[in-house]
Amino acid sequence: MKSAISIARWLARALAIVVLVIAGSTVLVRFAPGYLSDAREMDSRYAVAARVELSQETARSHSLLGMLSAEIGGWAKGNAGISRQYDVPVSGLIRPRLAVTGGLMVRSLVLAWALAIVAALFSSAGRNPAAVWQAPSTLLLAIPTAAMATLCLLSGCGGPVLVMALLLAARDFKFLHRALRKAWLEPHVLQARAQGIRTWRILRFHLFPSLAPQLAALATLSIVTALSALVPVEVLFNVPGLGQLAWNAAMNRDLPVLLAITMIMALAVTLSGVAPDRAGEWRSA
Amino acid sequence: MRLFRWLLLCASLILAVILADLCRAQAAPRKPGELVWTIGYDPKTFDPAKVDDQESEQVRYLTAGVLLRFNRLTQKVEPRLAESWKLSSDGKTITFRLRPGLEFSDGSSLTSRDVAWSIRRVLRKDTGAPVAEEFVSPADVTVDAPDAGAVIVHLPRRVIGIGKVFDEIAIEPAERPSEGRVTAGPFVVAEYRRSRFVRLRANPHYAAAGGAALPYASGIRLDVLENHEQEIRLFERGDYDLIDGVPPDYFELVQKKDPAAVRDLGPSLNTEQMWFNQAPNAPLPAWEKSWFESRDFRLAVSQAIHRADLARIAYLGHATPAYSFISPANSEWYDHQISAPHTDVAAARAALARTGFHLDGDTLQDSAGHAVKFSILTNAGNAARMKMATLIQQDLAALGMQVNVVALDFPALIERLMHTQDYEACLLGLENVDPDPNAMMNIWLSSSPNHQWDPSEKAPATAWEAEIDRAMDRQASSLSMTTRKQAVDRVQQIVADEQPFIYLVYPNVLVAASPHLKGVQPAVLEPALAWNAEDLRLDGQR
Amino acid sequence: MRFNRSVAALLVGLVLVASIVLLAPRASYSRQDRDATLATASRQHPAGTDELGRDRLVRVSAAFLLSLAGAIAASAITTAAAAAVGTLAAFGPASVGWLAMLACDVFLALPWLFLLMMVRSALPLTTSPANSAAITFLVLAALGWPACARAVWRGALNLRNAEWMLHTRASGLRPVQIVRHAIPNLLPLLVPQFLVCIPAFVIAEANLGALGLGVGEPLPSWGGMLLELDNSAMLMQTRWVYFPVALLVVVLLLLDAIAVEVE
Repeated sequence: MKSAISIARWLARALAIVVLVIAGSTVLVRFAPGYLSDAREMDSRYAVAARVELSQETARSHSLLGMLSAEIGGWAKGNAGISRQYDVPVSGLIRPRLAVTGGLMVRSLVLAWALAIVAALFSSAGRNPAAVWQAPSTLLLAIPTAAMATLCLLSGCGGPVLVMALLLAARDFKFLHRALRKAWLEPHVLQARAQGIRTWRILRFHLFPSLAPQLAALATLSIVTALSALVPVEVLFNVPGLGQLAWNAAMNRDLPVLLAITMIMALAVTLSGVAPDRAGEWRSA
Repeated sequence: MRLFRWLLLCASLILAVILADLCRAQAAPRKPGELVWTIGYDPKTFDPAKVDDQESEQVRYLTAGVLLRFNRLTQKVEPRLAESWKLSSDGKTITFRLRPGLEFSDGSSLTSRDVAWSIRRVLRKDTGAPVAEEFVSPADVTVDAPDAGAVIVHLPRRVIGIGKVFDEIAIEPAERPSEGRVTAGPFVVAEYRRSRFVRLRANPHYAAAGGAALPYASGIRLDVLENHEQEIRLFERGDYDLIDGVPPDYFELVQKKDPAAVRDLGPSLNTEQMWFNQAPNAPLPAWEKSWFESRDFRLAVSQAIHRADLARIAYLGHATPAYSFISPANSEWYDHQISAPHTDVAAARAALARTGFHLDGDTLQDSAGHAVKFSILTNAGNAARMKMATLIQQDLAALGMQVNVVALDFPALIERLMHTQDYEACLLGLENVDPDPNAMMNIWLSSSPNHQWDPSEKAPATAWEAEIDRAMDRQASSLSMTTRKQAVDRVQQIVADEQPFIYLVYPNVLVAASPHLKGVQPAVLEPALAWNAEDLRLDGQR
Repeated sequence: MRFNRSVAALLVGLVLVASIVLLAPRASYSRQDRDATLATASRQHPAGTDELGRDRLVRVSAAFLLSLAGAIAASAITTAAAAAVGTLAAFGPASVGWLAMLACDVFLALPWLFLLMMVRSALPLTTSPANSAAITFLVLAALGWPACARAVWRGALNLRNAEWMLHTRASGLRPVQIVRHAIPNLLPLLVPQFLVCIPAFVIAEANLGALGLGVGEPLPSWGGMLLELDNSAMLMQTRWVYFPVALLVVVLLLLDAIAVEVE
């Protein structure tokens, strides 16, 4: 019963967020400069065709309520509306890209966390100064994603997963290093070490359990960061995922596609807040 | 402890290598005999009649069977599906005679009925074909097919360069439009994966002029890729066979590694220019408008710009200083006698002084004491334009003008240029696909929305704009080449005198082709390398 | 303590050197030596020149002062905002917490790109480069807090339920005092957030150039110089393109070292 209520509450919250996000994005996109213009207007060959399309869009987007109801109508029909730039149902555009983006996210998050935890364990436990580990992570933070992509291309190795993982690992490391260093110095851990308990046991029974809440908080941050890194990484590596689609849609003011993607984003963000919680509960259960 | 460390390190390294290797940047595998290059974005349509963007046009160019083709190298109109064509002396009737035994890619025969149907479809208003407009009044055009091998098109009035219009009309099977799946051209659309690639395969029934078994290539894959960095890298690796339009800095990069792979074909037909907003309804202060309407002000700006530096620094020498809208590459229409203001900072200062501008310290002021301060708008993502704008900023600072450079994304930029007119000056390029100046009618006619410095004038705002209107009308209606040339020369001189557009450079045509690619004949006109795609093949193929 | 001092001295030294370079006679970040574009180091240009022939050392120095000040300020604002929202949501009434986190989630999912475009279109095109830079950093600060606020909230919730916290509450400490005790415990989240935001904002500023925001020409932008690294043609031309990124790493490491001491 209790869990049913909590699920219902979570659903209500997710719904509220989706509604707010849709309304907010519609306003943002509609009133951003260039909603009613088209690059082809400058090209004498295509200007007339472009103007015809624009006048249709002007009529369509006359009132915000009308636009919103049209979008919701599209969702009711199950195709999520018709893309403005491609003239095909949005659902057809999104579906094949979900798997691509999902795969990229999961792989890079796993790799990032593996790298960050290993690095943070060494840097916090080791006797040598942390600078050995700090310098590379700082370097990764200071290099723009585009430059990393170029370096990957130049060296002929590494791709979107590696770049995104390094990006996230560098950030996560900054947090993990601090949290772990503090944890190593806690009195009970110090005593356990002094008594010669094996490192693995200290980690398993003393360090990680006391760090779990912080790790959960960090996981949230990490997922949100990964979501925002999707666009540049997919655009730079030409990955046919949601990030690339979002960028094209933004540059073409393709409202139906943008709405669908922001909705997915909103759900992902709310889930990212829930997942670490649930994982924690499941562990303690 | 030590063992634990090593285990973790090894495990994570292995994981990293596995994951990283899975996602290396690479193109899709190439089919045997297939040529591969890129297009910048997804084609908006495969319906040849509805093409209204560049990438769709490239697909149409490669797939469509056309009556006449405008040869990009010789710049002459050549018969393709037509065996011969004849334009009546009054320019109103075109008679095509089809080649015998023509077939579509599905093996069905191609007759005058298909041709007439395809042309009529393009002309119909509900098709919404952009090409229709080139017939001036498409509703009044009639198409007849007196017999299986002849098609006659009647125009209500003469159209300049009508032959080239048929280069853009794909002949499709009557009543069976197929979106490029059934064509009479060298290639057929075989597969489309959105945002990945468009795959074309050779049309086995393609009847090339001269009877050769063309195309040589078994197909073409057009990868959707916008990132130049990746395109260059994959080209160097041999994944891509050609690049139409290499950015200047990458041109130098490829040239260093393989001088034979790149070619600079000299100035293109395209221009890069800057102009001041002279629209009366622009939301600008009155004094700014009066500067921009002043010929001396525009002249001074033009004279202060070091065009040679723009070409040398912004384009690394792969551009040619420009003083007119017709490029020297367009030998038929280029006016060698034109007298245009060249770089002369002293003369620029004098011109400003004439109109009451004066220096207050380092700042130029107009006669009412307003500091001369304005912004130059350009589109984001074009490195050469951004550099030009920054160089011009410095050049104009020498006159005491304070210039802001602002880059906007394209839709936001277009909104300001075409709708709100909320800008002061703009730096953009103009692409010319057709060497005939008649194609630029809508830029020069004062009533046109693309008359950029003052769009859609109800009546010409100045005497010189009225004269441009008259000269352009004259060249559009005259049957005599001499009269047309004189009219266009006159427009060039007026533009040089009045500087509504301050021409900066003609960017050079820069192309890259794999040394393994045979049959390459680069042309200045677009598509520079792909124009003879049916003759292109890789080494080792026949 | 000695370590801390030497680190701070190094940072101050860098600022001093940058100022001296900028104030030197004939130093100009905008003057174009058009006959020496992309030159390597010489007597005249100790760190070479950029693509337009501008002195790289002067430009890096100016960008160092401008971008760094902007990014540090923006990062401080955004971290403070995250701390405020996060702790308020955790220690305040449940409804406030619920609303604050709802706002965070909505904030995170909205396409802010379009807001930035609106900001640009609301500004006059003649906005001076310096003002444009200031506005850009402010906007970045205003948009950067929600992700961190959520993490802070999560951390603060755990604190609230910690035993010692229950003790403090039971012993009747006022909420302000409780929060004052909580903040130091959140530093492992806040300090790295502050440090991570600095390079992120430096780079974001340059990326916003595509929307007409950011540091306008001819003012040098550190992010703009970092973005030169994405052009392989540029990387082949001169090694000096790595200079800004190397300097940024040094500065970040120094800040990191100071942060360690502060903690």
